[in-house]
Amino acid sequence: MANEDDNGEFYLRYYVGHKGKFGHEFLEFEFRPDGKLRYANNSNYKNDTIIRKEVYLTPAVLRECRRIIGDSEIMKEDDNNWPEPDRVGRQELEIVMGNEHISFTTSKIGSLVDVQSSADPEGLRIFYYLVQDLKCFVFSLISLHFKIKPI
Amino acid sequence: MQGAAAEGEAVDFEPEDDDLMDEDGGAEADASASPHAPPLPKLKSAITGGASSSLSGPKKTKGRGFLQETDANRNTGLSGSDFESLATEGGPGPQRSIEGWIILVTGVHEEAQEDDLQVAFGEYGEIKNLHLNLDRRTGFVKGYALIEYEHAEEARNAIENLNGSELLTQTLSVDWAFSSGPINGPMRRKNARPTRERRSRSPRRRY
Repeated sequence: MANEDDNGEFYLRYYVGHKGKFGHEFLEFEFRPDGKLRYANNSNYKNDTIIRKEVYLTPAVLRECRRIIGDSEIMKEDDNNWPEPDRVGRQELEIVMGNEHISFTTSKIGSLVDVQSSADPEGLRIFYYLVQDLKCFVFSLISLHFKIKPI
Repeated sequence: MQGAAAEGEAVDFEPEDDDLMDEDGGAEADASASPHAPPLPKLKSAITGGASSSLSGPKKTKGRGFLQETDANRNTGLSGSDFESLATEGGPGPQRSIEGWIILVTGVHEEAQEDDLQVAFGEYGEIKNLHLNLDRRTGFVKGYALIEYEHAEEARNAIENLNGSELLTQTLSVDWAFSSGPINGPMRRKNARPTRERRSRSPRRRY
């Protein structure tokens, strides 16, 4: 596990968004195997425009990202019983780590109440918290590097 | 698609970016009216599309994202090449951020306080910014911190002196957060065709 953690393939992409009154609004980021972090945020509310940023990360940052994912044990989960994406929105989490590749899709999760009332609260809770931890990590990286408020 | 990327010998990720733009750009612009076939799933083309199988073998896949219906609906905003980035100076190495230099500290104890880091890292220069993020579930420190110094020298000193040091019984790792270019190494197997640079390296002269 430790070996795979450090040398295996790694890719991560997260998307959350919906199409509505203000068009297609979304947030998406991606960690690529060569270290490139890409970040896109499109909010049409109040004529906001799309923000697209990219920066190369050091291996140390990728390692920490893998550590966070590994600790979460998200790779053991499955989105089979998670709520389907709906008009309110969708989330996608795609991770390649070692020889595992997950591509999970679900609806937006408003709060833990949604998690509790789902058919797979244990799995969805892991997803719910991991996504928040990843967003937090990415927002810190982007805001420190570019001095913007990511949201 | 792979064949069209012949010019990508040296610039590794560009050909893929172009591919992605072709596939997903149209879908994003007007998914409903698009005359094209459903766009290919992005990650499959970017990461697992045939090329990687030579190295690591087939992957265990899991999730609804692999279903075709889902892929057709996918909305990605990461296609295209109009991503802003900061200018890089000189060769490979740490990348300057807009107002300074950012370092990553890992192995931070879950009960560490900002003060603990201020004391340790303030030694090497004024800390312009400190992010000590919390685990959303537990409320304890997640395990990393991002610290900004104004000067590269300060950041370098902090890295040299504090990497491997101990804070609250845990060993810290300290390194730059941003890099001026892609990571090279064993992970880069994707476009692993021989590059001109590699080919042209001539053997050392012998006398």
